[in-house]
Amino acid sequence: MPDHPYVLIGLASFLLGSAAGFVMHRSDFCIAGMFRDLFLFRDRFMLRMLVLAVVASMILFEAARLMGMLSPYPFPLLGPPSLANLVGGLLFGMGMVLAGGCVIGTLYKMGSGSLLGALAFAGLIAGSTVYADIDPGWSALVAATTVFPGKVTIPEFVGVSPVLLVTPVAMAASLLLLRWYRQDRWQRRSAAEGYLQPWKAALALALIGMLSYVLVGMPLGITTSYAKIGAYIENAVAPEHVGDLAYFHAEPLIYRPPLSDVTVRGGAGPVLDGIAAIQFPLILGIVLGAACSAVMLREFRIYWRVPLRQCVSAVIGGVVMGVAARMAPACNVWHLLGGVPILAAQSILFVIGMVPGAWLGSRLLTRLVLRA
Amino acid sequence: MSNASQELIEIDIRGQICPSCLLTTLREVNQRQAELKAGEVSLRVKTDSRDATSTIPAAVGNMGYPVTVEKREGYYLILIDGRPREGAAQGGAMT
Repeated sequence: MPDHPYVLIGLASFLLGSAAGFVMHRSDFCIAGMFRDLFLFRDRFMLRMLVLAVVASMILFEAARLMGMLSPYPFPLLGPPSLANLVGGLLFGMGMVLAGGCVIGTLYKMGSGSLLGALAFAGLIAGSTVYADIDPGWSALVAATTVFPGKVTIPEFVGVSPVLLVTPVAMAASLLLLRWYRQDRWQRRSAAEGYLQPWKAALALALIGMLSYVLVGMPLGITTSYAKIGAYIENAVAPEHVGDLAYFHAEPLIYRPPLSDVTVRGGAGPVLDGIAAIQFPLILGIVLGAACSAVMLREFRIYWRVPLRQCVSAVIGGVVMGVAARMAPACNVWHLLGGVPILAAQSILFVIGMVPGAWLGSRLLTRLVLRA
Repeated sequence: MSNASQELIEIDIRGQICPSCLLTTLREVNQRQAELKAGEVSLRVKTDSRDATSTIPAAVGNMGYPVTVEKREGYYLILIDGRPREGAAQGGAMT
């Protein structure tokens, strides 16, 4: 009887997702909010906590790699850098602020009863699906602007062991974090019941990311399955069209999960494959984890009277995020808490693009959506 | 007038996009500055945003207003109190 890794992968993803959803709800760990609040209110508190999460991830991943626990390395679905990462990041940053949350933010908010979260989620699926129609053109652009073909991380470009670059970066960042700690900038007052200080959430997310890498073979990633969900829906109404779209037939994921001899494959098409096994339980876990957190605090409630402009903004923001996540490829959590910790160039470019994108999104949010 | 009950202005931003909580509250506080300081009004902000229970007290507290947060069924109530000055016969006397 073949030992199929889907069970371990699915279970691990679900449990890790639940923990992430719970922890993020309790500490308001919304990455979109971090950048938006920087631009709107000059509030850097949550961004410091993001730095903590990234640095902790960097250290944990490298430690795991040195102990031989990370296979494959770099993790799958990462490629060499191109202009697409910058452009995708820019659009993503804009979309996430308009949507009121990034990919995971949307899920944990939806899980706690947010109508805007649900609308952004719908937008994300729509945007991810629509991408399939522009994929041929976009892939051409990617190919034309790719540099360092075949190499993914900066240590690979330079030709050194990751530890030689990760160590100084992590040390420098740790000094900064320590300085902030001494300035008492790691804590924040909150009257929210059951509030979890974000530094704890940051460390928890780093651990969750590492465990995901060790057990599933990659850190947390979600958005390919949004295209898959959309493909299922589109397939129900226009199967011939779905049949024509190469994007829905490609299988970019081909890898051997840790603790298994089986090769797992997957893509964005309307089939239950490796991507589905990894990401569907993760999504479900995050939503349920956040829902549990909210219910336990008696804070789960759906408010329906939301200004129309904000609803429209959430949908449009979601669509933009969805397209951007396919263009980049991948979302902010994958890059910030997965790629950047291993110094993947795609992810660094994505983040570089995301920052001005978030600035732009914040401008649009205040000018068009909230000043109504 | 000095013992007249304060006007309670209610701002219900439950369900709204996150920055709306702080922005709407700040806008209201700024518009009603004089009345708040004179103790003629107080603001009651209803929000389901957990983040707002941190950002609003910090921002508004920095502006000098007393802020309290109470948990209600499924949401938070943030009270920004324009406390009337005790013993002032005419409004506006600085203690």
